[in-house]
Amino acid sequence: MGILRDEARKLSGSLRQRTAEPELDEEIQFHIDMQTEKNQRLGMSPEEARRAALVRFGGTDRIKEEARDEYRSRPLEDFVQDLRYGVRSALGAPLFTLLAVLTLALGIGANAAVFGVVKSVLLDALPYADADRLVRVYAQKLDGTLKRSGVSAGAVGDFTARQRSFTHLTAFFNATADATFNSETGPRVLKLTLVGANFFQTLGVAPILGRTLSEADCATGARVMMLSYAAWRRELGGDPNVAGKTLRVNGNPWQVVGVLPRGFVGPMGDVDLWLPLDLGPTLRDPIHARRRHWLGLIGRLAPGATVEAAQRDFATISADLSREHPDSDAGLTTTTESLRDSMAGDTRTPLLVLMASAGLVLLITCANLAAAMLSRTLSRRQEFAVRVSLGAGRGRLVRQLLTESTLLAIAGGAAGLLLASLGLAVLRKLALPALPAYAALSLDRGAVLVTSLIALGTGIAFGVAPALSAGRTSTLREGARGASESRRTRRLRGALVAGQIALCVSLLAGAGLLARSLWAMATAPLGFDPDGVLAVTIQFGTHKYDDEKLAARFYDEVEERLRALPGVTAVATVSELPSPRMNSNGLGIEGVTWPAGEGQPFITYATVSDGYFRTLGIPLLRGRTFGPADRPDTPRAIVISQSMARRYWPKGNAIGARIRLGPNLEGPWSEVVGIVGYVRNDPARPEPEPMTYGSRRQEAWASAFLLRTKGDPLALLPPFRRELAAIDPDTAISKASPLRSYLAEGMAGRRLPVVLMTAFGLLALLLASVGVYAMFASMVAAREREFGLRVALGSTRQAIAGLVLRGGAAWMAAGLAAGAVGVVAVARLLRNLLYGVPPFDPIALGASVITLLACATVALLVPVRRAARVDPITVIRD
Amino acid sequence: MTHTVASKNKSDLLQGTLDMLVLKALQLEPMHGWGITERIEQWSQKVLQVNQGSLYPALYRLQRQGWITSSWKTTENNRRARYYALTAAGRRQLAVEQESWDRLSEAVNLVMRMSTS
Repeated sequence: MGILRDEARKLSGSLRQRTAEPELDEEIQFHIDMQTEKNQRLGMSPEEARRAALVRFGGTDRIKEEARDEYRSRPLEDFVQDLRYGVRSALGAPLFTLLAVLTLALGIGANAAVFGVVKSVLLDALPYADADRLVRVYAQKLDGTLKRSGVSAGAVGDFTARQRSFTHLTAFFNATADATFNSETGPRVLKLTLVGANFFQTLGVAPILGRTLSEADCATGARVMMLSYAAWRRELGGDPNVAGKTLRVNGNPWQVVGVLPRGFVGPMGDVDLWLPLDLGPTLRDPIHARRRHWLGLIGRLAPGATVEAAQRDFATISADLSREHPDSDAGLTTTTESLRDSMAGDTRTPLLVLMASAGLVLLITCANLAAAMLSRTLSRRQEFAVRVSLGAGRGRLVRQLLTESTLLAIAGGAAGLLLASLGLAVLRKLALPALPAYAALSLDRGAVLVTSLIALGTGIAFGVAPALSAGRTSTLREGARGASESRRTRRLRGALVAGQIALCVSLLAGAGLLARSLWAMATAPLGFDPDGVLAVTIQFGTHKYDDEKLAARFYDEVEERLRALPGVTAVATVSELPSPRMNSNGLGIEGVTWPAGEGQPFITYATVSDGYFRTLGIPLLRGRTFGPADRPDTPRAIVISQSMARRYWPKGNAIGARIRLGPNLEGPWSEVVGIVGYVRNDPARPEPEPMTYGSRRQEAWASAFLLRTKGDPLALLPPFRRELAAIDPDTAISKASPLRSYLAEGMAGRRLPVVLMTAFGLLALLLASVGVYAMFASMVAAREREFGLRVALGSTRQAIAGLVLRGGAAWMAAGLAAGAVGVVAVARLLRNLLYGVPPFDPIALGASVITLLACATVALLVPVRRAARVDPITVIRD
Repeated sequence: MTHTVASKNKSDLLQGTLDMLVLKALQLEPMHGWGITERIEQWSQKVLQVNQGSLYPALYRLQRQGWITSSWKTTENNRRARYYALTAAGRRQLAVEQESWDRLSEAVNLVMRMSTS
């Protein structure tokens, strides 16, 4: 009795408060009085009678306490007691507690962090008023050579006049341009863009200082501008009287009329200077009016209008325009999409993939936690049995476990929150270049709450359910013999492990596919050699290079000086560095009429200096590249890429063919003089797109210098700066980096999901291994007696090990089988992100299965060894 | 007098027995705790003495299980005492325990009467 009593005291709480319990006191007093009276009737003296009654009753305090334990009606006292006991029990099983808290923290942290990103990109409101009603309008070629393109100035006018879907429709320059701000401390490169007068009204944005751009500003091409909040703070120190002041930009005075609010981001990205867009000159130019697709278009839906209705409206107008202007608008149509989709762009799928991965990790977390709680509860059956036999009710046990689960969940949640904010800090570094400009990564309270609730729910469900059954079935006898898992709970645990393996293999397969795809992307030949090349983009500080002769002389002079630098093996200029979105021109071929209704295709075009192909290592296949023979007064020479030659001159007669590039259909013919190797301007796309090159000798325009060196490309930057300053101190370097890292930046969006999904995969692997270990460790512990008996009865240790291994292998096989479904789903989800890898790539899938099996086997081997080492004597004696 | 069931046993059988005895004692009329000990003693012809230290926890336990209820009343001597009464569930439980007790004692008797020679 003593042991049980002690146990009862320990269990029933550390609360030893001696508060008056009048009812119980009174009841006991009554009992003792009655006994005293009886004793007196039997002939004792009053004192004797009373003493005998007290002795007979025993320690009143102890009885009160026990009665109190039996008859509870004070939830607060219970709660505090449960809490203390919960903490004690958590500290009493440090490994379990650590495991549970860590598991929870990882699951909650990963989810909250990723959801923070997803929410800021896909769910948070755009920095515009009523942003859900904003729609982006793109031009598109029916033949697919032009997608999500800008709209021509002429079409903007027609759309504005004819459309019935929007209350506002605004045009803007669909890109940013570098501009030189001639500050007091020297030239600074800022980003500018041009927007229509009603741009800010359409977006519903009001200035924090001054006014927005007006119709008059745009109609007259006035030299006025608005500043972004960031530029205002950075460049002008947040001068409160900036409105009305004049700044020098590109050598000309511009008057500041207003400052935009903080957090405002344009659909074209971060912009410092907002200038009025004057379409007048373009509209007066007969060629550019309808043939330059350079304007972005955003509309605000009229009440009751939908994106789909706007789509139909604009498609109809486009079809009309194609008929009215067959030369320029044939084959053109429009697509509309919500501004959010347009700005979230390509990040949507990777983000959803990441969210799904984080969700899988959370599921694994829950499964792991469930298994851990289950086995912990089972191993405590003896304790519960003692408590039940002492009179603890099932409700009391359940409440105790509830408190314990809640404690764990709170600890896990707090640790998860910490992990999430750490994770977001990492994500901010890793992901920001790949995310839309408006994304402000922040920890989302809702996400933390929801994931915590899920984890909490799991903990409770799996912690309490066995407690219920323990309360119902356990007796002291069963408990005293040591808890052994019932068939049903073992099956439940097995299913949980199998589930973890299934989820884990899906995640690993996804990570493997993405990693293979990234590898293929990074290693597939680009068609040019970016290693050892320094790429420097420059920005003129004045307009004097509008004169082509001056510009040509400038480029030649810089090239010449650079060539003389030690270590430089080749130098070139180019109009645009290779990127996924390059300038493209309409193509005309002599003797070829494009199919009616399709119009001319659009081909990527760049002007390059003579040394370009040698600098980048692009091989000449046929004909020649550019040289002194190409002068401004000779016919334009064009070099085309192999993929271009194959598509339009499949018979191999490209050299000497006469073509036209650009909007002017009546301009002079150019001649194809050479064919060079294909290039992939977008490393993320497997197919090299057709490419045309013009000569800088005939079109003096360049934005970047390329220098090839045998050493470190960045070592060339200081001498470059020196030479540039010597030739023209007003020209600024807007960006300089090795070409390899410049290209890698463009891949950031592709790298992000790979890195994160691999991280999630590893996390899942760790959790699943722990899960496998935990299940079989507790299974072996529970069956130690049985194994001991088997050994005693002549079973070999190998047979015992085989028994456990077979059990493990069966659940793993079940998990892998279920994982096949997950793998199919993952492959489907990732299909559009894959490059050069089939969705069911045997290498990625095989590697993930083998990795998982290896880890699970290692996790399984520890309990197997323990099972094989069971000592029959010790076990049976116990 | 010193021979009490409670002090010499510690199996959970005892607990069940005490509960059953309490239910039985309350079968006729509601009673206070002291009355219950007296009745059990009287009915068992002083063979069974209820350990009062076990009685009150048992009473609260039975109450929580819904087999008995309690209320404060005045005794014939004009003192306040807590009276316990059987509930309908308690009566059913008593029948159940009675039956299993009969079975058990019959079985034990059978075993004990086996001649071993």
